[in-house]
Amino acid sequence: MSQETPKSDQEMASLVPREVRGWKAEGKDAVYDPDTIFGYIDGAGEVYRAYNFKRLLARRFVRQSMPALIVDFFDMGTSSDAFGVFTHDLMGENSGIGQGSTYKGGLLSFWKSRFFVSVYAEEENPEAKAAVLALGRSIDSSIKQTGRKPMLLEFLPKKNLDKKDIHYFHTHLILNYHFFVADQNILNLNAQTEAVLAAYGQKPDRGDLLLIHYPDVEKALEAYSDFTRAYMPDLTEPGLVQTEDKKWTAAVISRDMIIIFIGASSREAAREMMATVDKKITAKTQIKESLA
Amino acid sequence: MSKKIITRREFLRAAAVVPLAGALMPDLLSGQSLELPNKVRVVLIRDKDVLDGGGGQNPEIIRRMLDDAVIALLGEENPIKAWKRLVQPSDIVGIKTNVWNYLPTGSAVEMALKRRVMDCGVPDERISIDDRGVLRNPVFLQATALINARPARAHHWSGMGSCLKNYIQFVPRPSDYHEDGCADLAKIWSLPMVKGKTRLNVLIMLTPLFHCIGPQNFSREYTWAYKGLIVGQDPVAVDATGVRILQAKRLKSFGEEKPLQPSPHHIALAETRHHLGRSGAEQIELIKLGWQEDILI
Repeated sequence: MSQETPKSDQEMASLVPREVRGWKAEGKDAVYDPDTIFGYIDGAGEVYRAYNFKRLLARRFVRQSMPALIVDFFDMGTSSDAFGVFTHDLMGENSGIGQGSTYKGGLLSFWKSRFFVSVYAEEENPEAKAAVLALGRSIDSSIKQTGRKPMLLEFLPKKNLDKKDIHYFHTHLILNYHFFVADQNILNLNAQTEAVLAAYGQKPDRGDLLLIHYPDVEKALEAYSDFTRAYMPDLTEPGLVQTEDKKWTAAVISRDMIIIFIGASSREAAREMMATVDKKITAKTQIKESLA
Repeated sequence: MSKKIITRREFLRAAAVVPLAGALMPDLLSGQSLELPNKVRVVLIRDKDVLDGGGGQNPEIIRRMLDDAVIALLGEENPIKAWKRLVQPSDIVGIKTNVWNYLPTGSAVEMALKRRVMDCGVPDERISIDDRGVLRNPVFLQATALINARPARAHHWSGMGSCLKNYIQFVPRPSDYHEDGCADLAKIWSLPMVKGKTRLNVLIMLTPLFHCIGPQNFSREYTWAYKGLIVGQDPVAVDATGVRILQAKRLKSFGEEKPLQPSPHHIALAETRHHLGRSGAEQIELIKLGWQEDILI
């Protein structure tokens, strides 16, 4: 995850238009960093801090007799974290803006390059919705570069993958937001770990795959030990246990990664998932090593 | 990691016995705190006419709802008698409101509370209504009694914007309490400026927010006209009741079990870790008054 220097406030401001469909920017832009964001959006700022955001530019637009619009324009530092914070809330329809987008209830969210963008209408009506989407398209076209999704996603098997339910993150609290594992951080997640959570199949046969990349093998081993002790104390065979819902949970280590599959319909399905992901990781690592 | 770890498997175990166990975080985490009363009373009152067509609050109906709730809560025959059990003429009273622009407490509730505090013999100059300025407010700095009133809403970090969370402004750096999804908000209630002073909690359920989206944390689409107030002396019990209604609304609206994210575990921990009040449904005597349609609890 290479970090880029944050854009200057002026550079960020130049990527957002000052007028759209009769709405005009009101007052001065507000700019926030990880220390000041709470003054703007209170505790919700923790979500963006959990993705290491660098800077937020907020601009408000007004038009007579119409709801106000708000652009929250985040420089996330890396495209991985821009993608990640976008995956925090995937409810809504794809509006085709940026490299991935959702629209619902007057809120457009999208990511592109190292930026995450939210455009919000305080009340939704057809004109406001059109303006929100127009603002989004304008910002999208101002951002000339595109960004790469996190490499971890390449290890996800494609078969039965629910592409609308993939979340990338770093911390225990964000994991629990999407999928409660434990009240304590039994996987030792932190700002240096990368994780992806993906859903396979449909309810009631849905399973959840969790891949975690640690800074080194020792940290992965330590986390694996903590996890199996807390979550699978009753395992009868290595890394495999049948849980109270009659489904199966499997966990293995693959180099500096942990692979966990929760909710497999059978022992065989759990093992197959482990083997498929492990093979992908090994193949990718061998290519990397041969190129080094 | 010395304390007991609660994993997803505890929920699976519970679900084998209780359907929708995932929505019952407070019950799963609740324990026995011997120093607390076995049962606490909470009043839920609703009135189908409390909101006008535009969502504005009817001050007269709000006042009546609060009066009826306090009467039922304390078992008195009229509101003045009931309020006089809460507030003394010698008190200095801070009414802790919430000014969040998308869903504020609102003047109808604030004024109804202030009116009744004055009816207890407290003069105007010894009453103040404040939110973000409480640490600089001379009345709050000297307060002997607090009234706590805020709307219920889903919250991106604490699970629910609760009565417990409304006291976050009593600390100079609210972010100090953000760890583990605001798990230890109840700790604020033991600070000298607050401890033992809260006489009444009002969780406003007129148009609660049951799901939050985006940096602004709000969309009108995820509010509904529940037209209720939850009133009690135990803030934990009031909040736990509010959570159950939000969870029920989410189940109804999303058509599947979709627990609040993140979990509002600060409410259960207020009982088990901080012994501030009761969170388990079986420990709450819930009195339901007024409009019963779609009550969800």
